[in-house]
Amino acid sequence: MLSYILKRLAIAIPTLLLLIVISFLLMHSAPGGPFTSERELPPQVLANLNAKYGLDDPLWKQITTYVWGIVTEFDFGPSFVYKDRSVNEIIAQGFPITLTYGLLSFAVAVIVGVSLGVAAAVRHNSALDYAAVGVSIGAQVLPNFVMAPILVLVFTLWLGWLPGGGWQGPEYWIMPVIALSTSFMASIARITRSSMLEVLTSNHIRTARAKGLPERRVILRHALKPAMLPVISYLGPAFVAMITGSVVVDIYFSTGGIGKAFVDSALNRDYAVMMGVTILVGALTIFFNLVVDILYGWIDPKIRY
Amino acid sequence: MVMTSEQRVGATEIAAKGRSPWADARRRFFRNKAALMGLVILGFVVAFALFGNSLAQWSNEELDYNVMGQIVELGGPSIESGHYFGTDDLGRDLYARTVQGTQISLAVGLVGALIACVVGTLYGAVAGYFGGRTDSIMMRLVDIFMAVPYMFVLILLLVMYGRSITILFAGVGLISWMEMARIVRGQTLTIKGREFVEAARATGVSAPVIILRHIVPNLLGVIAVYATLLVPLMILTESFISFLGLGVQEPLTSLGALISEGAGTIAYGTTWQLGFPLLFFCLTLFGLFFIGDGLRDALDPKDR
Amino acid sequence: MSLLEIRKLSVTFDGEDGPVHAVNDLSLSINRGETLGIVGESGSGKSQTAFSIMGLLAPNGRTGGSIRFDGQEILGAKPKVLNKIRAERIAMIFQDPMTSLNPYMRISDQMTEVLTLHQGLSKRDALAESVRMLDAVKIPAAKERIRLFPHEFSGGMRQRVMIAMSLLCKPDLLIADEPTTALDVTVQAQIMELLGDLQKDFGMATILITHDLGVVAGFCERVLVMYGGRVMEQGPTEPLFAEPTHPYTRGLLAAVPRVDDEDATMKAIPGNPPNMAAPPEGCPFRPRCNYAGEDCRVMPPLAPFDAGRARACHRPIAEVTA
Repeated sequence: MLSYILKRLAIAIPTLLLLIVISFLLMHSAPGGPFTSERELPPQVLANLNAKYGLDDPLWKQITTYVWGIVTEFDFGPSFVYKDRSVNEIIAQGFPITLTYGLLSFAVAVIVGVSLGVAAAVRHNSALDYAAVGVSIGAQVLPNFVMAPILVLVFTLWLGWLPGGGWQGPEYWIMPVIALSTSFMASIARITRSSMLEVLTSNHIRTARAKGLPERRVILRHALKPAMLPVISYLGPAFVAMITGSVVVDIYFSTGGIGKAFVDSALNRDYAVMMGVTILVGALTIFFNLVVDILYGWIDPKIRY
Repeated sequence: MVMTSEQRVGATEIAAKGRSPWADARRRFFRNKAALMGLVILGFVVAFALFGNSLAQWSNEELDYNVMGQIVELGGPSIESGHYFGTDDLGRDLYARTVQGTQISLAVGLVGALIACVVGTLYGAVAGYFGGRTDSIMMRLVDIFMAVPYMFVLILLLVMYGRSITILFAGVGLISWMEMARIVRGQTLTIKGREFVEAARATGVSAPVIILRHIVPNLLGVIAVYATLLVPLMILTESFISFLGLGVQEPLTSLGALISEGAGTIAYGTTWQLGFPLLFFCLTLFGLFFIGDGLRDALDPKDR
Repeated sequence: MSLLEIRKLSVTFDGEDGPVHAVNDLSLSINRGETLGIVGESGSGKSQTAFSIMGLLAPNGRTGGSIRFDGQEILGAKPKVLNKIRAERIAMIFQDPMTSLNPYMRISDQMTEVLTLHQGLSKRDALAESVRMLDAVKIPAAKERIRLFPHEFSGGMRQRVMIAMSLLCKPDLLIADEPTTALDVTVQAQIMELLGDLQKDFGMATILITHDLGVVAGFCERVLVMYGGRVMEQGPTEPLFAEPTHPYTRGLLAAVPRVDDEDATMKAIPGNPPNMAAPPEGCPFRPRCNYAGEDCRVMPPLAPFDAGRARACHRPIAEVTA
């Protein structure tokens, strides 16, 4: 198991470095950016950048500085737009917020999705099964940028139960989490259901039943683990999609996470911040994929040997 | 007189009919009520996109000065004013705009899925066919690519280089080619290892014939299923980008852009501005999902 | 009273194209300590019979008739009742040990759970007993290897593990569904020998389901020959093999290639097994039978003759054995 983990780690680290280098190159080639000869930025910003990267230095030197800064100090450099703020400051403000509702949404999507999927599979072709499939399909069709305004309409304007935006306490988390988690919960439910249905027809489940084990044990101890494998594979891309979706949440619910920072920087052409966010998200993704891989190896013994 | 067993067997064999797997799959698909419904729904949406404009009384750019400034009271759907779906905030006919939005969304979906399919299939088939180190390296690369948050990169590109429709189409497609590559590669490996391919080789069938006659037909099924499931994803992706204001430029519009506009105004009571585009958006996705599921069940039944 | 008594069992599946009649009007009985073989081609209904006893039919299966175990009706019984009987009184081993064992669980866990749940043993006692059982099926270094996963064992070893697992609660009846089919020939012999030894040691009644006549000959006291979901012939093994009285049984035995036979052509039974979604009228073997007549459109009853033998055929024995 340990060698398996180390192997995955050995892939993850170069991937991250590659990501950082590619991002920097993109930033470097951006038209109208500081690294080209046009240099349309305010002089103070240019001065900051020059101090950090040496704008006239050869490319490889700039790359090395950038990578080194990130890896050793998480320093993403100065902003392209604000003369007295660094990318770190801008991101650090929003990151904990995004992390909070992101993790919550993720947990809700997995817990509710898996439970629904398992329940539907166990009661195949029952009313619950059809309802679950129906709800799942329905929820998948409603992307978060549609759900968000509808939620605000219903819960804030019509019912007045929940605040429309901001981030001052747990009640501010409810609608963002619902908006973000719904479509993933639906996908997870569908995947769980079909995976569970398939596992339940396999030979080793038949053996488990032949051993006279109570049905609950058969499902939870024998069927659930292998049934989770496709779900776990899905979690990687789902995570990325969820972070992307957080942009919508930030816009509609004014929560102020890194999604907002990204969009603002997009509008301002603050490439440094855009890069920083992209790399951060990429790093999170790589880390998350590592966790997913390890989880996969834990469940399926054939993989880790 | 007693028939010999051989004679009787001959008679029974003539009576039995063989069924090819494709015919089987087709039967299963058309028996699947949900898939048929999906086909009908999608057909309706496509008809709407292709022929809807022939029923429109307004173009999608004209501003109706009669309702401007009083959209909430006068801009609602009505047959007399010719605005079947009502108007948008600027007074443009929502029906015509929805038709156009559907056209663009479907186009992006199809083109995007096509790009993802072609790139993914080529990449995956090459990796799977050559196997060994080539395969390992190619798949490692895919692993690395998958770690990149594409949406962010796409937005980055759109911001840097402007909102060209080429970047949009290509970018949307390139977000998903990797999944397709993985699936095609896995399928190619499986098919390569199957006994009938070994048998074909053993009886002296040449490599190109093997590829064309044995490997490709078996790939088509998987590709068809995942391509159908990709189209709704493409549409969702494009809608998201439009929502952020980075999608197709005016006067062109997509369902995503329309929904985003409509969502912004429901607080004022103009629910039709969200309702109609959202309706067609959902119908399209529903149709595609059901068809995709139906295809998957038909080609790979597991009694769901 | 016999240990297991099956009367007029019928098993039908709701298939895509209509009902599939897998088993029709099957009756058999087995006494304590007896060994019974059920022989037939694929699709003859033998495995479905076994699944019916254990209550393991697929969800689209419907049953009719009666199955009494030790006097108790178990066909269609509630899961709670069945779970008490499974593993403790009746155990079953399956054809493919790689897929029948749980690939995701250690052997130790798969075995101890039977003991902890059925006999209330502590984890430690259950583990000790499991190791003992693995020793009994001749798994080398059982104590160290019990913590391994199924894929780390060879095919023959896996089947031994299955057998050990099934005997943990010392059941009265063991049903073995094609236990050697997925194994190499030499390993087959070892497994059958093991089963023979265990049967003598533990004294459990055994139903051995197989399509392999050689395996039956070495192990079973009595044989049941099935075709098209029905019993064609049954009786004590030796006399039945020495002088089969049913056209199908005769065809089966004639089809076994013999080393001492000069003739190189194989004697197959012409034709194909019946389509159980649209079974032939009357006797299922009629389309392939050399002796069939118009009266065979009515299923012949299973008529007893001699000591413990019975056959389902309209043609008299003399005509068939001529």
